[in-house]
Amino acid sequence: MPVSAELKMLRFLQERVNKKTKAADADAETNPLAQDDYDKVSKKQARVKELMRLLAEKLGKENGVEGGQ
Amino acid sequence: MRLSSLLNTSMQKPLLGLVVLGAFASGVCAQIKLPGEGTRPEAHLPTIPDVQVQNPFKPFDQPRFEKVARALGATALQVKTFGEDLEEIGAARAADNLLRKALPKFDAAVLAAQDQDPKAALLLAQVLVDTKSPLLQAHVRYHMARLFLTSDDPERAIEVLNDYISSNLNHSPLDGEAAYFYAQSLAEVPMIDDAIPRFRAFLAWFPNASERLRSAAHQRVLELELQKESRLHMLADGMKKTTRDLRKNKTDKPVQLDQEGYLEELDVLIEMFQEMEKQSSGPASGLNPSGNPAASSALPGGEAKVGKLNNKPSLADRWGDMRDSERKKIMADVQNSMPPQYQKMLEAYYKKLGKADRK
Repeated sequence: MPVSAELKMLRFLQERVNKKTKAADADAETNPLAQDDYDKVSKKQARVKELMRLLAEKLGKENGVEGGQ
Repeated sequence: MRLSSLLNTSMQKPLLGLVVLGAFASGVCAQIKLPGEGTRPEAHLPTIPDVQVQNPFKPFDQPRFEKVARALGATALQVKTFGEDLEEIGAARAADNLLRKALPKFDAAVLAAQDQDPKAALLLAQVLVDTKSPLLQAHVRYHMARLFLTSDDPERAIEVLNDYISSNLNHSPLDGEAAYFYAQSLAEVPMIDDAIPRFRAFLAWFPNASERLRSAAHQRVLELELQKESRLHMLADGMKKTTRDLRKNKTDKPVQLDQEGYLEELDVLIEMFQEMEKQSSGPASGLNPSGNPAASSALPGGEAKVGKLNNKPSLADRWGDMRDSERKKIMADVQNSMPPQYQKMLEAYYKKLGKADRK
C-alpha cells in the first residue's frame, strides 16, 4: 500500500478523534461527569499516535525516508 | 507555527515538488529528509525559565552539606560513611543515601517510589510539606519528579523541577541529576527545542556527573537532533502529548487547535508522498513488516535510568490492582493532610494514574 494511502487512513482516524474531542468538550459544559467521553477519546488519540509511530519507524528502516529515530 | 502558514500557498507547491523530486533523482534513498518544520503541540505547555547563559550551579560544598545533614538528624557515623562513599558512588548517590538513613520517613517514601507503589507520591509530598530544609526539599522534589516522569507525566515533573530550580538550587549534589531530568522531561513533552540546549548545558556544567548520565545526555542530544528532522516522528510525539492532555480531561480550544494542526500536517505529508510516488517507479511502501523493530529510546538502568526497563508492575498497574478501600484511603489522606497546592497536584496525579494504560 502506498504511504500516501496509509497517511490518508491516519488522517481519517485523526479527524474522527478531533470530532469526538469537540463533542466531549461540548458535553463537559452540560454534563461535567461525562468521564467516559474523556477516556474513550484519549484511547482513540493514543491509537492514532501508535499507528503514526509505527509508520514513521517502518519508513525510517525500510526506505531511509525520514529515518529520524 | 502551523504548517498551513508555511506550506499551503500555490507558489510553494511547485517548490515542494522539486525538493521531493530532487531527493529521489539523486538516486540515494538513504536519509531523505522531508522539507519543512513539521508540527508541534502548543496546548498547555509548562512554563519554563529561559536557559541560563551563566552556569547557576556552584561546586558541591561538602562541609556545608554535612552540617545541614547533621542538623536534620544524621549521626556522626552516618556522616563519616557518607565521606567514605563519596569516591565510590559519587556525591549525588552518597548524599541521597545519607538523608535516607537519617530520615526514615523520607527513606520509606523513596522505597515506595522505587517499588512503584502508588502511595509514593503522597508519602513524598508529606515529607515535603513537613520540612523547611531546602536540602531535604531538593531530594524530595528530585524523587517526585522522577516518579512523575516514570508515570508518563513529564509536565508535572517539570512543575516540580521548576520549584527545585527556584528554591533548592546549590544545596545538594543532586543538582546535576535534577538538571539532566529537567532536560529529559522537556524532551518527553515534547519540547525538543528547549530540551537540547538544556542537555548541552548539563554536559557543559557537570563534567563530573556520572559517566552513565553523561553518555545518556550525549545520546539524547543526537536522538533529538534526528527527531527534529523527522516530521513523522514529530507528529507522533505531538499526538502523544495530546493523548496526555485528553487523559487530564483537557479538551479545550488549545487542544483542539493542536489536533487541527495534525490534520494540516497530514495533508502536507499526503501531498509530499503522492508526489514521491508519482515520480518514483513504485510507491514508497510503509507496510512491509520490519525485521528489526526500533528499540525503546529509554536509557540504561541505575540512578540515571528512565522509562520501563524491568518487568515490575507499573504504577498504573499497582493503582489498578489496589482495593477500592486502599485507593479511597490514599485520596482521603490527600484531601485531609495536604495544603491546597499539593492537594490539587496529587488529586490530578492519581486521577491520571487511574486512566493510564496498563501492561
